[in-house]
Amino acid sequence: MASWLDQDFPDEEEDDFNPQAEVASDDEADEKPQLNGDAEDEDDDVAPQRSRSRSRQVNDEVKDEDEDKDDDVDLTGGDDDQPVEVDGDDHPAVGDEDDEEVADQDDEEDEEEEEDEDDDLPGRPAKKRRKNRRNQFIDVEAEVDEDDEEEPEEEDDLPGDEMHPDDLQELPADADRDDRKHRELDRQREAKEQETAEEQAQRFVERYGRKERAGAATGAVVPQRLLLPGPEDPHIFRLKCRPGKERDVIQGISLRMAERQYSREPILINSAFERGGVMAGNLYVEARRQEDVVAAVEGLTHVFSSYKPLMIPIEEMPDLLKIKKSSLLEPGMYVRVRKTGWYQGDLAQVEDVESNGVDVTLRLIPRLTYGLTEDTNAPAVLDQNGKRKRTKTTQPRPPAKHFSETEAKKKLGRYLSRAQGLGNNAFTFENEDYVDGFLIKNFRINQLQRDNVNPTLEEVTKFASGGEDGTENLDLNALAATIKQTKAEDYLPGDKVEIFRGEQKGVTGKSVEVYGDVVKMRVDSAGALRGQVIEAPIKDLRKLFREGDHVKVIGGSKYVDEVGMVVKSKDDRVTLLTDSNNQEITVFSKDLREATDAGGNVAGSKFDLFDLVQLDVSTVGCVIKVDRESLRVLDQNGSIRSMLPSAISNKLERRRNAVATDSNGNEMKIDDTIKEFGGEQRQGRVLHLHRNFVFVQNRERVENAGVWVARHMNVTTLNAKGGRPGGQNGVDLTRMNPAMKQNGVPGVMAPPQGRGRDRLIGKTVKLRSGNQKGMIGIVKDATDQTVKVELHAKNKVISINRDHLQVIDPRSGQPIDDRGRPGGGMPGRTPAPGAYGRTPFGGPGAEGRTPAYAMAGGGRTPTWKQDVGSRTPGYGGATAYGGGGFGGTTAYGGQTSYGGGTSYGGATTYGGGGGGGGSVWGGNQSTWNPNPSSRTPAHNPGNKTPAYSGGLEAPTPGFSAPTPGDQPTPGGFRGQYQTPAAYQTPGGFPETPGAGFDDDGPRYD
Amino acid sequence: MSMRSLRACMVCAFVQTGSKFQTAGCPNCEDFLEMRGHQDVVLDCTSAVFEGLVALNGLEGSWVAKWQRLEGNKAGTYAVKVEGILPDDYVAAAENAGVRYVP
Repeated sequence: MASWLDQDFPDEEEDDFNPQAEVASDDEADEKPQLNGDAEDEDDDVAPQRSRSRSRQVNDEVKDEDEDKDDDVDLTGGDDDQPVEVDGDDHPAVGDEDDEEVADQDDEEDEEEEEDEDDDLPGRPAKKRRKNRRNQFIDVEAEVDEDDEEEPEEEDDLPGDEMHPDDLQELPADADRDDRKHRELDRQREAKEQETAEEQAQRFVERYGRKERAGAATGAVVPQRLLLPGPEDPHIFRLKCRPGKERDVIQGISLRMAERQYSREPILINSAFERGGVMAGNLYVEARRQEDVVAAVEGLTHVFSSYKPLMIPIEEMPDLLKIKKSSLLEPGMYVRVRKTGWYQGDLAQVEDVESNGVDVTLRLIPRLTYGLTEDTNAPAVLDQNGKRKRTKTTQPRPPAKHFSETEAKKKLGRYLSRAQGLGNNAFTFENEDYVDGFLIKNFRINQLQRDNVNPTLEEVTKFASGGEDGTENLDLNALAATIKQTKAEDYLPGDKVEIFRGEQKGVTGKSVEVYGDVVKMRVDSAGALRGQVIEAPIKDLRKLFREGDHVKVIGGSKYVDEVGMVVKSKDDRVTLLTDSNNQEITVFSKDLREATDAGGNVAGSKFDLFDLVQLDVSTVGCVIKVDRESLRVLDQNGSIRSMLPSAISNKLERRRNAVATDSNGNEMKIDDTIKEFGGEQRQGRVLHLHRNFVFVQNRERVENAGVWVARHMNVTTLNAKGGRPGGQNGVDLTRMNPAMKQNGVPGVMAPPQGRGRDRLIGKTVKLRSGNQKGMIGIVKDATDQTVKVELHAKNKVISINRDHLQVIDPRSGQPIDDRGRPGGGMPGRTPAPGAYGRTPFGGPGAEGRTPAYAMAGGGRTPTWKQDVGSRTPGYGGATAYGGGGFGGTTAYGGQTSYGGGTSYGGATTYGGGGGGGGSVWGGNQSTWNPNPSSRTPAHNPGNKTPAYSGGLEAPTPGFSAPTPGDQPTPGGFRGQYQTPAAYQTPGGFPETPGAGFDDDGPRYD
Repeated sequence: MSMRSLRACMVCAFVQTGSKFQTAGCPNCEDFLEMRGHQDVVLDCTSAVFEGLVALNGLEGSWVAKWQRLEGNKAGTYAVKVEGILPDDYVAAAENAGVRYVP
């Protein structure tokens, strides 16, 4: 009895279908005749059960499979055997479940088949042996029943011979041949009925499928792939509607269906549906005819009737109703808040999920104002609603920060209370709970964004810092759930993958193609599938890494971009030893990718060698080495750091025009060659200037790629890029810096720099050398060295060195000192080849120089202006003005302008000396006359001296000022017409003040 | 009918307002869920979070109904996907009534 079940196996297996189903039914079928036919009815009634249980014990395979089956049966609560073998129609309710079973079996069968096959490989010899054994010896002798079965199944051949002994031996009394024949007949009939399991299954489906339809509301678990639409199904048409109003439309259609159900023109569409979200604005209607669609939606608001219904191809229909399996939220996962408001887009950690799966408790980083902004608005209304509303509209959202008890106490302490029993760090503040600095808040699941959360490192670390024990736990557990679901982008062709669940569990291979959520992989694990390309859904896949693989972390954790060698790989967790610091880290295999050893990754780095990077708010550094995955950075303090590119906040662009001053106050620009001032006296080329620091590169040095860093005050410029002599010609910053100015330093007085317009501009000049020597022109533009002269003779502007010019009087053609003084006869001229006013001071000594210079400059400007402003009076006018300026400004500057006047004193000379000029001068005088009458006299006797004495508080200038007055010329100065002579005085005047200023000069600086 | 108050039965996905569930129950599942008159049951067995809306006519042969496993259900509006977890008690009740609860 024990092994008759076994015997069926070989046959069944050949059948290419579920052996088990057949075994059961066959046995039962076999038994049925026995029951009917055998004399011992009572015994045999129990027999099926007994035999089953016995067989379980005896045969492993059968046992397993039987158990599977039995489990299924138990689940559905029905007895499998009964309906199938005895009377399938007796228990319709149970029959339905059987139908489910059949469906289930479809799946199971595949598996079983495989298993069987697998088993066959090793197990085949044994089995065969067994079979033979049975046939030949044991079976025959052991049990009658077995033989009984065997014979018909083997169909035949020698029923007589073999049966005889059986009957003779074991059933001599019980059964006679007739019975056996009957049984045989029955069995054959049965066999015919159940030719193949497939047919049988089909029959079941037919039989019970019908019933399912009749008996409504059965959640038949027919796999959806069996429900794929066919041509006989109604078509689906797409309509357009106003986006966002899909649900209204569907509701409208639904109502209309109900309304017109029994009317004369019922809605003939089968269904209508929408999917919202990504397919907003689309509406799908299932109907057999397009006219029905149009009729159904006719007149509905929000439906765009101008769109013709578009038929959806049959193969696309399932996609329309595809359900994206939403992952179940688990505590610890990260989500984003979708709700508008303060927390919109914020990352949150799931604290708890209500059992209904809809309400979620989240941990958020609170955004609180702590009432700081509130009071100013309306301290009176502080209830939550009012407050919330107001804050929403009027206030920018506060930054996300951990809850601070002290902050909360400041203004709204009365709303703060310490929660009991939750540890020290739990508070209730304004009806919200805060634990460990986090806001604990309830959300509806639809207010949350669960997919594509992509928490950034910063966000996650915020949660981590508040976490119980550090980051490690965070990385593996907290992030795990959120990022567990892999995305198609995670897989690339060439990745080694493993199927870790499903029918093909354990199969490994290399992906060859990735599309949608499916990866095509070429199997390389041993087995029947080896070498084949199979498709596997991404959710069943994970990447496979073996110890020793060189991998790179591509995302998902703080270790992103780390490269290392796999030391352990268990399930989907891979432990690797990082290259950068030999640290063991554990990450998910989906976050790994095989690192290409073939270098070149450097090029992929965001940062290049010698880039200036921002390390933190106050620290910058210069990249001195770019490893494959890490950077070595020399920071501004001279220390070397090894960092991941991801740990660097950003790269600072090289500022071409950055300027710094060196220790001498000379300017220093990028690419200038500089030298360390003291210390090692390192030299190098400026790479970067940043704040106080200068990053310098010296190719001859080895360490740190030749880069060193110094404070800019500790280096000197050797020579500037492009031959700009360091500090010589450029703006001498020393001079600009009052702190650098030293009184006692003798040196060449810098020529007064022309401020504003160059005085030469507009002058008539004669060229003193070159091709155009002797030509006369007007200066159009001037720089330090060269001037542009528009020639009178030719309509041409030439550029010529300043030194090659001679300023002449436009009218007389007389050469004038190129600073505006007449060529000769000028008393002050000889000592003053340069700028007038300066030389005299140069003579007197160093002390007075600076002030003198300032004075001269101060004086010049007005003079010059005057020059421009009152051309007509010419120099005389200018002189007058100089006087005027002097008179008007009691300050020393006034005197300076007086000095300015001095140059026009030259004009005076000119007036006096030049006979031709006399007429001119006369003219000038005529215009000038009023001036002296009003000003010069005014200041000469009265103003000047007091001005000096009063304004300067220094007797010396005061004294010196009169000096010119004492001179004979000033005598003329007083005289109305002699005013030009007064210019001479100033001409001498500089000298005098020069002397006079000896002591006081510095004061005027 | 306001969109906001709509709820979907977690067993059959039938969509109607929460109050309707309370007054009339779920047309398909009333036999075993017995929501009528029990607000807590309504809250337990229906979900306000669902996606997609299907208007089902009672006609034979609808592929959508077949695909959504709504065949044989009453005509009306159904959700394509209902969020939420049916408490175990009700799952058992549904199973006992011969309805396979498919989350």
